[in-house]
Amino acid sequence: MNPILVLGAGPAGLSAAAELASLGAPTLLVEKESYLGGNPTRWHYSLLAPDLRPAEEILGPLIQRVEHNPKIELHTGSLIARAEPEGKGYRVSLQSKDTVQTREVSAVILATGFDHFDSRRKFEYGYGHFPDVLDFKELEGMIHDDKVLRPSDGKPPRRIAWILCVGSRDIQIGNPWCCRMGCVVSIKQAVEIRQKHPEIDAYIYYMDVRTYGLWEDLYWKSMQEYGVKFIRGRIGAVSLTEGGKRLIATGEDTILSRPTEVPFDLIVLASGMEPGTGTKEASELFHVPVGPEGFLTPKLSDMNTIDSGLPGIYFAGAATGPKAIPDAITEGMGAALRAFQYARE
Amino acid sequence: MPIVEKSLVRVKRTEKLELDGIDVSGDWNTFLESRVQTDLDVGIVDWVRSQPQGDTIDRCWQCGTCTAGCCMHTDYGLEEFNPRYFIYLAQIGYEEELRRYAQTIWRCVSCNKCVERCPKGVKVEEVVHTIGTYLEASGRAPESPADRFDRAYTENLLDRGILDEAGLFRTYERLEGRKTPVRELLRMGTSLLLSGRLHTGPLAHRTKGWRRMRPVLKGLLDEDLRQRRESAQATRPVGRREP
Repeated sequence: MNPILVLGAGPAGLSAAAELASLGAPTLLVEKESYLGGNPTRWHYSLLAPDLRPAEEILGPLIQRVEHNPKIELHTGSLIARAEPEGKGYRVSLQSKDTVQTREVSAVILATGFDHFDSRRKFEYGYGHFPDVLDFKELEGMIHDDKVLRPSDGKPPRRIAWILCVGSRDIQIGNPWCCRMGCVVSIKQAVEIRQKHPEIDAYIYYMDVRTYGLWEDLYWKSMQEYGVKFIRGRIGAVSLTEGGKRLIATGEDTILSRPTEVPFDLIVLASGMEPGTGTKEASELFHVPVGPEGFLTPKLSDMNTIDSGLPGIYFAGAATGPKAIPDAITEGMGAALRAFQYARE
Repeated sequence: MPIVEKSLVRVKRTEKLELDGIDVSGDWNTFLESRVQTDLDVGIVDWVRSQPQGDTIDRCWQCGTCTAGCCMHTDYGLEEFNPRYFIYLAQIGYEEELRRYAQTIWRCVSCNKCVERCPKGVKVEEVVHTIGTYLEASGRAPESPADRFDRAYTENLLDRGILDEAGLFRTYERLEGRKTPVRELLRMGTSLLLSGRLHTGPLAHRTKGWRRMRPVLKGLLDEDLRQRRESAQATRPVGRREP
């Protein structure tokens, strides 16, 4: 059997590769970056919702299963430069640092994932301009290292605000979809900070709180056990106080029906999920249709998000839309099975 | 720009105003108060939560079920009595706005429909009363005629252990600086007399054994008030806009 190509080594790709190997299928795992684990590794995710277990505890075993596996041929820092149909499968050219090799693969799993929205595009929040305006992916790393400090003066903050839906549900920047995890991750961050530093006050500016399904529990706990406050309204602009030391979030409290200008020490932007650059490249390479949002389109998205409807191509993880880590890992397992079935036939 | 929504306008008028030595009191003296809210005072919710009756305040997520069934709000039609809103103001710490409801908040008749219906288990009736107590005890609410009446009533009752209606009326009139026309006084006096309750001044009744009871009760009330005042005033004042 020709190897099965898994493109992307985030949670979905790692899971797919590990399952393929356990089925006994030769696997070619190709990752653009130099590390394994995708966005969670890149941004040093801290604890994962909803059980608040460290990201390492969830991804570590997966990475271990993949790293020294005789069935898995691992190529980091590599990408697929070309792909064309060959028999039942594909012929691809695998481009590593300075080498290009042509390989034949029997099936393809696209686990190319997402990119965090670039918050600089919401210029009114001053991300990239005011040092104390953070993207929540950066705060993840700070919480992970227990160094939640204001970048401007290195002092601990007294009051933090989260702004939800930055780069999501926003027609101005062209992303009308919901990122599904901004709410729960922001709430989780607030809980983590309040657990360790109860003297820091945490406020979350929301339009809706979408902690769907069983995640609702964390939302309730955040209020009842950790005193996280929820203010309804979308912040319109961030500016500095007169002395320039603190930030001011200007918005409307829609429950109060009044304008608000509240000072904060840190403002955290819950940046949404966009199709990853790898996802865009993969759709061109393998001629996979994408929806208006730019995510890969499954054949029947109301039935499953794994089958592409194209011969030998399967999807896993956030390549088909915003997805949580457990969903991505589960889809990796499903995609492995489908690809294995196809390759063996 | 003309102001369309008149209900939103709050006017501030000072007694006398001089600018550069020129007296501009009068119509020049009227200012519109800014509607911009710059405070988030966590002290309020911290205090309410610390009280045995207020510890469910953090559960509220502003669905409005309480207000929808509130007999004051809906049946009686007192629109400004909105328990959901009072809780939000306390939760987020909009103290200035909350102070406006310091009197209204006591209009609750404790029917407890809100408590029965709340999907999150907020003991709305208790929480709302705790918020009212906070405003009163922290001394942040302006004293109203109702407050002065309460004070006169308590003192009157404490005096002899039984209410002296005519005496209470006199005290309250004095506190309010009000003078009731003689004709009205006569009408009220007659009706009190006929119902057998005009035992005032030296003729006033006294509860048996009140001389011994009074200091005990007074001590308790004073102690309770002192404790509530102290804890409410010790709340953390934060959130002023800093230069």
